Amino acid sequence: MVDEKRDQVTAPGPKVGVYVCHCGGNISDHVDVEKVCEDAKGIPGVVTVKNNMFMCSDPGQQLIMEDLKNGTIDRVVVASCAPSLHESTFRSAISRAGGNPYTYEHANIREQVSWVHHGEGATEKATRLVAAAVGKARELHPLEPFRVDAKRHATVIGGGVAGLRAAKDLADRGIQVVLIEKSPFLGGWTAHWDRLSPTEDDVSELIPELCRQVLDDPAVEVHTCSQVISFEGFIGNFRLGFRKEPPAEGAYAEEIERMKQSGADTGDFIPHVGVCPEPLPEASEEQTVETGVVVLATGFRPYTPRKGEYGYGEIKEVITLPDLIRIIAENRRAGGGQLLQVNGRKIRAMAMIHCVGSRQIPGIHEETEGRPLNQYCSRVCCGATLHAANLIRETHPGTRIFDFYRDIRTYGRGQEEVYEKASDNKVLFFRFEAQDPPEVSGNAGEGDFPVSVKVKDTLTFGEEIETKVDLVVLAVGMEPNDVSDLVEMMKLPVGADRFLLEVHPKLRPVELSVSGVLVAGTSQAPFDVGETCAAASAAAVKASAVLARGGFVELDPFIAEIDMGKCKGTGACVEACIVDGALRMVEMDLDGEKVLRPEVVPALCQGCGACTAVCPENAINVSGWTLKQYEKMVEMIVSEKLAA
Amino acid sequence: MTQVNPEFAEKLEDFGVDTTTDCFNCGTCAAICPLIYEHFPRKIIRYVQIGAKDRILDNYEDLWKCLHCGLCIQTCPREADPGDIIMGLRRFVVDQWRRS
Repeated sequence: MVDEKRDQVTAPGPKVGVYVCHCGGNISDHVDVEKVCEDAKGIPGVVTVKNNMFMCSDPGQQLIMEDLKNGTIDRVVVASCAPSLHESTFRSAISRAGGNPYTYEHANIREQVSWVHHGEGATEKATRLVAAAVGKARELHPLEPFRVDAKRHATVIGGGVAGLRAAKDLADRGIQVVLIEKSPFLGGWTAHWDRLSPTEDDVSELIPELCRQVLDDPAVEVHTCSQVISFEGFIGNFRLGFRKEPPAEGAYAEEIERMKQSGADTGDFIPHVGVCPEPLPEASEEQTVETGVVVLATGFRPYTPRKGEYGYGEIKEVITLPDLIRIIAENRRAGGGQLLQVNGRKIRAMAMIHCVGSRQIPGIHEETEGRPLNQYCSRVCCGATLHAANLIRETHPGTRIFDFYRDIRTYGRGQEEVYEKASDNKVLFFRFEAQDPPEVSGNAGEGDFPVSVKVKDTLTFGEEIETKVDLVVLAVGMEPNDVSDLVEMMKLPVGADRFLLEVHPKLRPVELSVSGVLVAGTSQAPFDVGETCAAASAAAVKASAVLARGGFVELDPFIAEIDMGKCKGTGACVEACIVDGALRMVEMDLDGEKVLRPEVVPALCQGCGACTAVCPENAINVSGWTLKQYEKMVEMIVSEKLAA
Repeated sequence: MTQVNPEFAEKLEDFGVDTTTDCFNCGTCAAICPLIYEHFPRKIIRYVQIGAKDRILDNYEDLWKCLHCGLCIQTCPREADPGDIIMGLRRFVVDQWRRS
C-alpha cells in the first residue's frame, strides 16, 4: 500500500532526499535518529533517507552531493541545527553539485527539538518537522538570485581609528571611499590618549601614521565637520547626503583652542586633539554620495559620572581616567619629577576607582532619566587604569597609588603583566562589593590631605579602611556615541546596551541586519585599539566582498511575486508594505486595457509577507515561502499518519 | 576605622620583609597552613600591606604560633614568601619591645 503510493508520487514529481544529522549527540542523545529516518522513508515524495554524525562535515555534504549528481534526488531536506547556522552551508553544497540552491528546506531538530525536549515526544516532534519540511520541499521550484547594479564605492562614517583603518583597507582593495567625520579632527578618542596599554605604543606616532596613510591615498575623500543628513536606497545603491558646516558655537572649543596654541598646520598631529586635515569650513554646504556599502565607525564616548558619583563634580580633586592620561603626558613633557603634579598641586597619594559607569546593577546603581544603566563590562579600563598607575609609579616614584576594584579583568595578551607590574610597583589594592562602593569625601580643614576614601575592604575581611589622598581618579567605562539620528535614518538594530547590534555575534560579527551596512569598532562594543582595527579590517573585507563581483550584487530571490492572472489591482498590498517604495502601483496594459497594478522593486523588497497576508485574491506571494508551501507544511504536521 | 599607612611596609624592609605588595590575598597560604587558625598568615600579611601596625602588635602572639614548616612559601602563587614575612615581623615586634 505504502509502496504503491510512493511510486505514484515519485515517478513524475519531485524526488526528495532527507538527511538527518546526529550533531555529534547534540541531537541523537535525545532524538532517536534511526527512528526518524525509518519514519521519514514513508513520507510521500521521499526517495532516500540518510544520516550522518555531522551533516555539515565534508562527508555529510558529500552524501547530498552524490545523490544529486547521480539523479537520485532533486529536492533536499536536512534535519539538523537552526537554519541560521547551516542553511547556507547546504544550499552551497547543492550548488556545487550542480543543483539549484533554492530547492532546499531545513528542519531544525536541535534548537527546536533536542535542546528543549526529550524522550519519545522529541523523536515524534523531529519526525513531524521533517515531514513538514518534505511537504514544503515538494512544492519548491528552482529560483534564481537576482542581480542589482552596485556602485564600487564605500562610505565610512566616523574618523577615529576604526574609520581610518576601514577606509584605508577599502582603498587598498581599489574601492573609492568617502570618509565622513562629525568633528574637525581625525583620530577619535585614541588621539586623546598617550601611551597605549599594554604595548606602550605612543599615539602621537600611531595616529599621524594612520592619518597620513588615509590622507595620502587618492582613493579616499575625507570630509570633517560633516554629518549625515539623509540616507536611502539599498545594497550597492545607497544615496547618502551629508552637511558640512562650521562647528556650532562652543563645540570642540577646547580642541580648537589647543590647535591654535600649538600652531599646527592642517595634517599635523596635535596631542590630545588629533589631526585636522582641512581648514574649518566657513559656510554650510550639502553633498550627496552614491555609494555601494556603508561602514559605521561611530565610536564611543567615555562615561561621564553623575554629579556626586564618588564626589565627581562636587570635589575638585575627583577626575576621570581620560583627564589623568592627559595629566600624565603633560607631566612627562614637563620633565617628570618625584611627585605627579596637577595644576601645580603635588600629588603625594592618589586613589583610583574601577568600574565607574560599567557593570552597573539595577537596584544598586541609580538609574536617572535618559541615562539607562551600563550593565556591561567596558573591558579596557582595568588595563588602562593599571597602565596609568605604572606610568606614574615609574616616573613619579613619590606618588603613592591606592587602587579600589570590584574585580580586576586584565584580559588578553600582555595585559596580565600590567597587573603584575602594578604589584611590583607597590600599587596597593582594595576590593569592594558593588553594594558597598568606596565613599569619597572632602576633608576641609582636617589633616593635610584634601580627600579621604573610605571602603569596606573585602581583602581585609570586610574591615572599614580609610585612605587620605590628594587626587581621586575614576576609571570610567565606555558608552556608545549617540547615533540615534543614524539609527532612525538607516533602520539600524541596537542592542539593550545601546551599542549597534551585529547579525550574529560569532559568525557574522561585523554585519548589520541592513544589507550592505557594516559595523566597525567601538560603536559595537568596548574594544581596545588593536581589537578596533581587527573589527575595522573585517568590516572592510566584508564590504569589499560585496563590491568585488564586478559591478553587481546578487540577492536572494525571497521577494514578493505577483500573479497578474489573479490580481484585481486593489492596492491593499501597497498599503500594507512596510518598506517605502518596495511595492508601487503602475499603469500597465492588460488585455488591451490600461489598468493600475502593483509592481515589486526587487532590491527593496524584504520578503516579509505583509502583502501576502492582506491580498484578498491571494495574488501575491513571497517566492520560496508561498502560502501553498505553508499549507503543505501544516498538512504534514497535522496529518493522522505521516506515511498516508 | 583603620587608616592606611603604606610607609609601614617600607619600614619593614629593614627587617628583611620586602615582598608584601606581591601578595594578592588569594588565601592559599591560609589553606595550606597546618595551624588552621583565623586566616593565618593571610590576614596578618594584609595588615602589613595596609600598614595596620597596631593590629600586628596587639596580635603578636600569633606570630610565634608559626611552625616555619615552609608550606606557605612553597605554595604561594606569587612567591610572596609568607613564612619569611612572619619571621621578619617577629624581628620587628622584638625591636619594638626593646625600644619601649
